[in-house]
Amino acid sequence: MNINTQNQQITAMKYSFLSIIMLAMLITACRPSNEVTRIDPGSTTDLSGRWNDTDARLVAEEMISDALTKPWLNQFSRNNQQPPVLILGKVRNESMEHIDTEVFTKEMERAFVNSGSVSMVANSQERQQVRDERADQQTNASYETTKKMAQELGADFMMIGNINSIVDEAVDNRTLAVFYTVNLELINVETNQKVWIGNKKIKKLIERRNYRG
Amino acid sequence: MGSSKIHIHRFISKLLLLGVIFLSVGCHSYMLDDAQYELRDSFTDGNYERSQSLLNKFEEKNLYKSKDKVLWNLENGIIYHFSGQYDSSTAFLNRAEIEIENNYTKSISRGFASFLSNDNKLAYDGEPYENIYLNAFKALNFVHQKDWEGALVETRRMSFKMEQLDIKIKGLADALSKADTTGRAEWSSGRVNIQNSAFSHYLSAVLYAKTRRPDNARIEFEKLGIALREQAELGDYEPFDVSNLAQIREPESYNVLLTSFTGQSPIKFQEDIRLWDDDYYLKFSFPSVELYPTQVSGVRVNINGEDDINLHLIEEMDLVSKDVYRAKQPIIYTRALLRSLIKAGGSKFITKAIEDENENLGLLASIASFIFKEASEKADLRGWQTLPGQAWMNVVKLPPGTNKVTLEYLSNTGRVLYSEDYEVDITENTQLELIESIYSK
Repeated sequence: MNINTQNQQITAMKYSFLSIIMLAMLITACRPSNEVTRIDPGSTTDLSGRWNDTDARLVAEEMISDALTKPWLNQFSRNNQQPPVLILGKVRNESMEHIDTEVFTKEMERAFVNSGSVSMVANSQERQQVRDERADQQTNASYETTKKMAQELGADFMMIGNINSIVDEAVDNRTLAVFYTVNLELINVETNQKVWIGNKKIKKLIERRNYRG
Repeated sequence: MGSSKIHIHRFISKLLLLGVIFLSVGCHSYMLDDAQYELRDSFTDGNYERSQSLLNKFEEKNLYKSKDKVLWNLENGIIYHFSGQYDSSTAFLNRAEIEIENNYTKSISRGFASFLSNDNKLAYDGEPYENIYLNAFKALNFVHQKDWEGALVETRRMSFKMEQLDIKIKGLADALSKADTTGRAEWSSGRVNIQNSAFSHYLSAVLYAKTRRPDNARIEFEKLGIALREQAELGDYEPFDVSNLAQIREPESYNVLLTSFTGQSPIKFQEDIRLWDDDYYLKFSFPSVELYPTQVSGVRVNINGEDDINLHLIEEMDLVSKDVYRAKQPIIYTRALLRSLIKAGGSKFITKAIEDENENLGLLASIASFIFKEASEKADLRGWQTLPGQAWMNVVKLPPGTNKVTLEYLSNTGRVLYSEDYEVDITENTQLELIESIYSK
């Protein structure tokens, strides 16, 4: 092989290499800047280390199975021959993050109502709307369809709770351990007796990278 | 000979291209400086509408790039806060906090680029005190919205960040002290007071007391005392007697929190040093920080035209900001000097190589290297422009009904520089009303 042929081959390789790079750049440039993919809502997606849907789901699953299998439910149903009526109270956020507790409390309400073993009544914010509607019906709805006043179902138990978190961070800020503890309690509205206490603990270790490209 | 000429021509064109790139990089930084000054002027004039439209205009012009996102969000957060749009303010401050966290991971390419050009290429990752103040302003947003749970979340975040900084700074000094077997040097965190914020502790103590957490309120109150002492050292004045603030621990003794902000954050200027001889040219630029003196020396509050109370000067954020810069100064200077030396050495080597080949091209190369050094060396003057200079606070118990409250900003001769009137409705159930005012002059 002479030098000219060798040079021609090198030039050809150079051009093919450049063409591949240009093609790759063209393809990349033509792609949309955002890509959206629908994924299973039950899948775990930990992107930042902060409280997320997976944590809320874990809490809801644990609390639902615990609340529906503990003795308070059977005892009440046996003694009263009817399912207990629950009302949702305040779940206080005492953590270092803004956590929407409704994500898991709604999930619990749904599971309770659908199980048929527990009845739920509207909470303080929800019932105000219903009361306004009922009051409005007294003057505006037909006699046959007007709903009666003072027929609300009184709750037997109120569910309250709190979320606490403990954060432990290395001095170099590289490693962070976050511990969440969620407590939910059912309190007898008449006697103040606590009939069930559920707890779910979640611990996360977050390691930050020092450098990126 | 012919092929070497072509090589030199190519090299010169690349060098000129590089010069143009660095010139544009330098230009962008100067444009951002101008934008920052313009934003500061509109904000301190109290023209928040103009400040918002300026920020939108700067975004359209891409003056705040991805590396400046922390600043962009901080500025928006404060402007929306003082224009009473608390949800938007919280959203921007949340974004700033997340960006600060994300900037923990340093970009190698940005670091490399900053070494070739200037520190403006680095991502602005927020100073520790900025990371704390943003939570304080978020807490104020939630108090305005009567969202105590949200305010307490921010309070806990502030406390945590300050504790972490305290461990980091004081712990480092302790570790050095233990490691020093000679016992000759005195290792301490010195006069650097970036791990404590009296303003944040005051706000935390009030919020904890008002939400019936007396133990947390006590701890925050004790930390407030320490912060005030450390701050007095920083400002070289007599420490404020914290017992005068004991009322904040008694939630029944007040129903209104009065907060005023005065002054502005310090201004950064560029200082250039140029050294040269016959065949050597060196330029290095670094930021210089100057306090913006406020005209206000007191804030008086008149209630229903009868009683006068004074607000306490709780924190001088401008001093904290300047102090942090003072602590970082040696690093900034060293980096600027090293960078200039590398640039000077590198360009001298290249120019010499070209000169050896062709004297005329050598002259062109030396002009290009001069432009490159002049244009690329630029001090990093980025900073949180809308951060107020001082925080004044006090609490008061107002009677039920509509109360007229007037805040008066006083000069050192007692002249009223500016005043604002508020009407506050108080009922038997009022937990805490917040009156917040700002005068940036």
